[in-house]
Amino acid sequence: MATVASPRASVGGASGAAAWLAQAPRALTIIVTAAAVFAPLSLILYQSVLSAPFFDVRKTLGLEAYEFIFADPDFWQALLNSVLIAAGMTLIAVPLGAVLAFVMERTDFPGKRWIEPMLLVPSFVSPMVLSFGYVVAAGPVGFYSVWATELFGGIPWGLYSLPAMAVIAGLTHVPNVYIYASSALKSLGSDVEEAARVVGASPFRVAVTVSLPLIMPALLFSAVLVFFLGIELFGLPLVLGDPEGHLVLSTYLYKLTNKLGTPSYHLMAAVAICIVAMTFPLVLLQRKLLQNARKYATIKGKAGRIRELPLGKWKWLAVGLLGFWLFVSVVVPLSGIALRAFVNNWGFGVSLVEAFTLDNFRAVFDEPTHVRAIWNTILIGTVGGAITVACYTAIGFATHRRNDGWSRVVDYLVLVPRAVPGLLIGLAFLWVFLFFPPLTPLRQTIFSMCLAYTVVWLAYGMRLVSSSLMQVSTELEEAARTVGASRGRISRDITLPLIRHGLIGSWLLVFMIFEREYSTGVYLLAPGTEVIGAQLVSLWQGGAIDVVAALSLINIVLVFIGLAFALRFGVKLRD
Amino acid sequence: MYPKLAAFALVVTSWAAFAQSPPAGYPADYAQTIAAANKEGKVVIYSALDTKAAQPLIKDFNALYPNVKVEYNDMNSTEMYNRFIAEAASGQGSADVMWSSAMDLQVKLVDDGQAMAYTSPEAAKLPTWAVYKNQAYGTTYEPAVFIYNKRLVTGDEIPQDHAAFAKIINTKTDKFKGKVTTYDIEKSGVGFMFVVQDTKFFPGMKDLEKGFGATSYKVYSSTGNMLEKVSSGEHLLGYNVLGSYALVRAKKDPNLGVVLPKDYTLVLSRVMFIGKQAKNPNAAKLWTDYVLSQRGQKLIGSDVELFSIRNDVDAEYTAASLNKQLGSNVKPIPVSAEIVTYLDQKKRLEFLSNWKAALTGTK
Amino acid sequence: MAELTVENLHLKYGDNPILKGVALTLNRGEVVSLLGPSGSGKTTLLRAVAGLEVPHEGSIKIADKVVFNGANGIDTPAEGRNLGLVFQSYALWPHKTVYDNVAYGLKLRKIAGSDVKKRVNDALAQLSLDHLAERFPHQLSGGQQQRVALARALVYNPPVILLDEPLSNLDAKLREEARAWLRELIVRMQLSALCVTHDQGEALAMSDRILLLNGGKIEQQGTPQQMYSNPESLFTADFMGSNNRLTGRIVEISNGSALLEGTGWKLWGAAKSSAKSGTPGVGMIRLERIRIAAGPGDNHLAADLTTSMYLGDKWEHLFALGEERLRAYGDRPLSTGQHWLEVPKSELWVF
Repeated sequence: MATVASPRASVGGASGAAAWLAQAPRALTIIVTAAAVFAPLSLILYQSVLSAPFFDVRKTLGLEAYEFIFADPDFWQALLNSVLIAAGMTLIAVPLGAVLAFVMERTDFPGKRWIEPMLLVPSFVSPMVLSFGYVVAAGPVGFYSVWATELFGGIPWGLYSLPAMAVIAGLTHVPNVYIYASSALKSLGSDVEEAARVVGASPFRVAVTVSLPLIMPALLFSAVLVFFLGIELFGLPLVLGDPEGHLVLSTYLYKLTNKLGTPSYHLMAAVAICIVAMTFPLVLLQRKLLQNARKYATIKGKAGRIRELPLGKWKWLAVGLLGFWLFVSVVVPLSGIALRAFVNNWGFGVSLVEAFTLDNFRAVFDEPTHVRAIWNTILIGTVGGAITVACYTAIGFATHRRNDGWSRVVDYLVLVPRAVPGLLIGLAFLWVFLFFPPLTPLRQTIFSMCLAYTVVWLAYGMRLVSSSLMQVSTELEEAARTVGASRGRISRDITLPLIRHGLIGSWLLVFMIFEREYSTGVYLLAPGTEVIGAQLVSLWQGGAIDVVAALSLINIVLVFIGLAFALRFGVKLRD
Repeated sequence: MYPKLAAFALVVTSWAAFAQSPPAGYPADYAQTIAAANKEGKVVIYSALDTKAAQPLIKDFNALYPNVKVEYNDMNSTEMYNRFIAEAASGQGSADVMWSSAMDLQVKLVDDGQAMAYTSPEAAKLPTWAVYKNQAYGTTYEPAVFIYNKRLVTGDEIPQDHAAFAKIINTKTDKFKGKVTTYDIEKSGVGFMFVVQDTKFFPGMKDLEKGFGATSYKVYSSTGNMLEKVSSGEHLLGYNVLGSYALVRAKKDPNLGVVLPKDYTLVLSRVMFIGKQAKNPNAAKLWTDYVLSQRGQKLIGSDVELFSIRNDVDAEYTAASLNKQLGSNVKPIPVSAEIVTYLDQKKRLEFLSNWKAALTGTK
Repeated sequence: MAELTVENLHLKYGDNPILKGVALTLNRGEVVSLLGPSGSGKTTLLRAVAGLEVPHEGSIKIADKVVFNGANGIDTPAEGRNLGLVFQSYALWPHKTVYDNVAYGLKLRKIAGSDVKKRVNDALAQLSLDHLAERFPHQLSGGQQQRVALARALVYNPPVILLDEPLSNLDAKLREEARAWLRELIVRMQLSALCVTHDQGEALAMSDRILLLNGGKIEQQGTPQQMYSNPESLFTADFMGSNNRLTGRIVEISNGSALLEGTGWKLWGAAKSSAKSGTPGVGMIRLERIRIAAGPGDNHLAADLTTSMYLGDKWEHLFALGEERLRAYGDRPLSTGQHWLEVPKSELWVF
């Protein structure tokens, strides 16, 4: 009963104008989205073929920017490092995230309600702070390292190495994969897994041979997204890469900012365009791999029960895996941050008891802007996040069930903004708001930052919404049509309520992103709207690392409590 | 004189908010500036000094001029520059006051015609090198210092001057391997500026660079990072670290030691100018004059924990005290055309490649 | 007056033609079944009538309103056709209660609240669902879900209701009961119904007329009796009942009878229009029409008993005649060995 080949559009009827009007919301959404993405991007592209800032009268057209970076050995080294880290990170995060999602969604693993918020912790900690936590904990003079030296006579790990960066990046990006994988697993009927069990498969085999292959689209998609987050990594390589001089594309960009004296936008733009060029083959690859994805599961009209798979003796393995991940990704860096927050100095020969102080926390509470920043960020995360998710939902609806050219365009569009490194995209948005007259009055408002965030994180937030949409059976919508509901009413009364878990998941993801975001909105900030990310960076640059640690810790604890509360009582990621 | 002035100003303020008398020693028509500033109502500042540190200044300014609200945006010097030039080019109006430690970028902006000509009444009290074309002013006096880990570096391993620093790391290479740190001059404009000045005053610079190469020195762009690593013992020595931050930290951190180099000490001065397109020019003037005034400079030398540039100020950190300690060996970086030489792309890249070569000792 | 008129409907998926010129009429109070094997296009036809598929040629008229005309470009969207459609999977909205599922169509028509309540409760009562109004679909059994789907389709009194395999999801026992009450309901409520089914028994039991589709075209249409007792083609004969099939050669045709000859046997049967003398032919006789004879006779066959199956109310015997396999009913068991089967001339159709 598939209607893939001849989709029923709401065209026709007696009046052509009415039909065109019916298409209008969809076309409008796509056009606005395209404009929002192309505006900063086209500026960057234009900038990359100039010799000076595009608003500078002395500029000339030319490819000098590309010549420069291609001739710069640092660029190639950075590119290689970025690709290596991104690849390594994807290879770690995707399987781990998928397995954890399986354990949490489909098995009878105990204590899920409490573990779930913990799984999300690395996502809402600023990457710079997180990396710094690792330095305090496991750096050359970190306290875990000191203990290891006492136990083993040496430190068996090198925190400042490329592999370490890839591992840490991979482990801390598990929550990203987890959210997508668990969203996809929610819709799987139990029968496929039970059938495998009956035939004799252990829970592990069920996961690997049945459940996870069936959510391959979600896994592939999150692999591409994680890869791009890897290319874009900044805070982590800044803290962990600098000591040994490991450059990645974003820190190379940072270097370009000052290497020539005055910021060289054309060079930065050229680098960004190179990265953007990488998106196309990747998305192409992803689409190819998903050609065979039509066979994957959907929610039909018949409501089914999901029965948990009993883990049996595999429970201990799962506990071990989860425990290992929690230890390396959460406990180690957070203990580092916590330690730094409670002492005024640390390191070799320092007695932690002697150095203990609460001054750092006092410093946080003494300064009203800090506390305000926490509440601001939470507010922006919740309210701004809701608006952002609403935008994503609108776009999701516009591309829902239409496999035509428009949807393909949107597919490529959405990933591009994230391909541009944070340092530059923030600048690009400033330029957009400054130089496109219709938008200028909005620059000083919170709207500009919201827009910037929404565009940059498009691919990530929208995915959850669109995959939820895909799970709603066509028949449920057709049934509504036959009783007389217009497209608008169907979206409102039928589809929207059925995708609420996807919406919540998306909102959660967006909230976590807003919590740690910095570079995208940095040029759009105004006093009074300070956000945590900006505060932390500002304090860091001023050398107040102890206050950074204290502020971070307070923020993490608050968000964690809020999240745990929300998940426990209202916001349900599961039925 | 000072407390009386403050009392007088306060009394006058409480009577008539708009008709305020100028500070003592100011021209009489300054009252009009104040009145105009009160009408403007606010001053927009882009500054590299973080908000918390600037709070004492802001508070005191508001005590003096309660009708002028301070809209203080703190961001790093690169961000300030990026934002300023984009806003100026779009004609949308930008900061009224630009206050940055990237001295070279500030001077460049002045040269590009972005600054308003304004002769501050306080200008005469500043050293001549701190005033540029009566458009930009140096406001602080921050030394570049050496830092070391007190627990692990002792006695004559503590470098007292530049030559000693070079000697120590060249001879005790094993001990200091991977443990010497300074700014990444590719990433940090301030670090670059310091090193350029070093080549002027330190003939043995090449030896120092060779030492850096031999000890595989570690470079960073953030002062805070360097302080952390030397304090924790991950690194042992730090070169050309911005003294204002180092001294503040050393006050409460028993691990951190600070040395003002005795042969010469470089001094950085944060540069302030009023934007040509400033929407609140009079308020900007008030702020500039305030920061340059004795009252403002006293705070800068104490609560704000930077160094005051004026010699006639009595505070914890002042130019006077530095000058007393080091005499003529204090070498402030002048706010002048000289410092933009290396903003020329070719020159800069050449300098950088020479530096890289010197690290390997091949020059 | 015809409630539904479909003329010359053509529909294709991409380049693949599904409906190749289908026409039908549905009168008030009629139950018409669309019957056919899978791939015959019956579901597509139903969905085209509903407005969920777009034909490229032909016309569809509901009551006296043209909802589709390929020539004029008229194409009323599904939500404007005011039809009722019961999906094979029921497609009940899982987030709405039974009451809300049924009430939704009325709410869309802007009917006043109190009226909605009355009409929904009436509909539910008629289908014995009133005690389930506040339940959610996943809390109902298959049969209950089906009735809710039906209530939802009927509550706003559409001129025509469309049913897509309404009984296929029910178990066998339930299906037989449902057949009866569904027809009774439709007739009582004076509805006009177009049903899709692949089960000929269901079609025979429920319909006033049957349309048999084959490869996107109507093979034959008529009353159940006509379809069953008077098939015009081999396909129809084969589809509409359980048959015995004999392959042979038509040696002679005279007076509407044909002589079919196979290996070691010769039978006279009713000649159908496709039968031609001197060509290969197929003989079809319903299982229940072939009788076990006491001995040889006119149009009798000798066959060996292979096995007998006890069906409770009768025996089904399997016979072998050379390569042919024949089945017949009897009311008592038979001994092994050869038996005689009587093939009444009028009951054997020769194609």
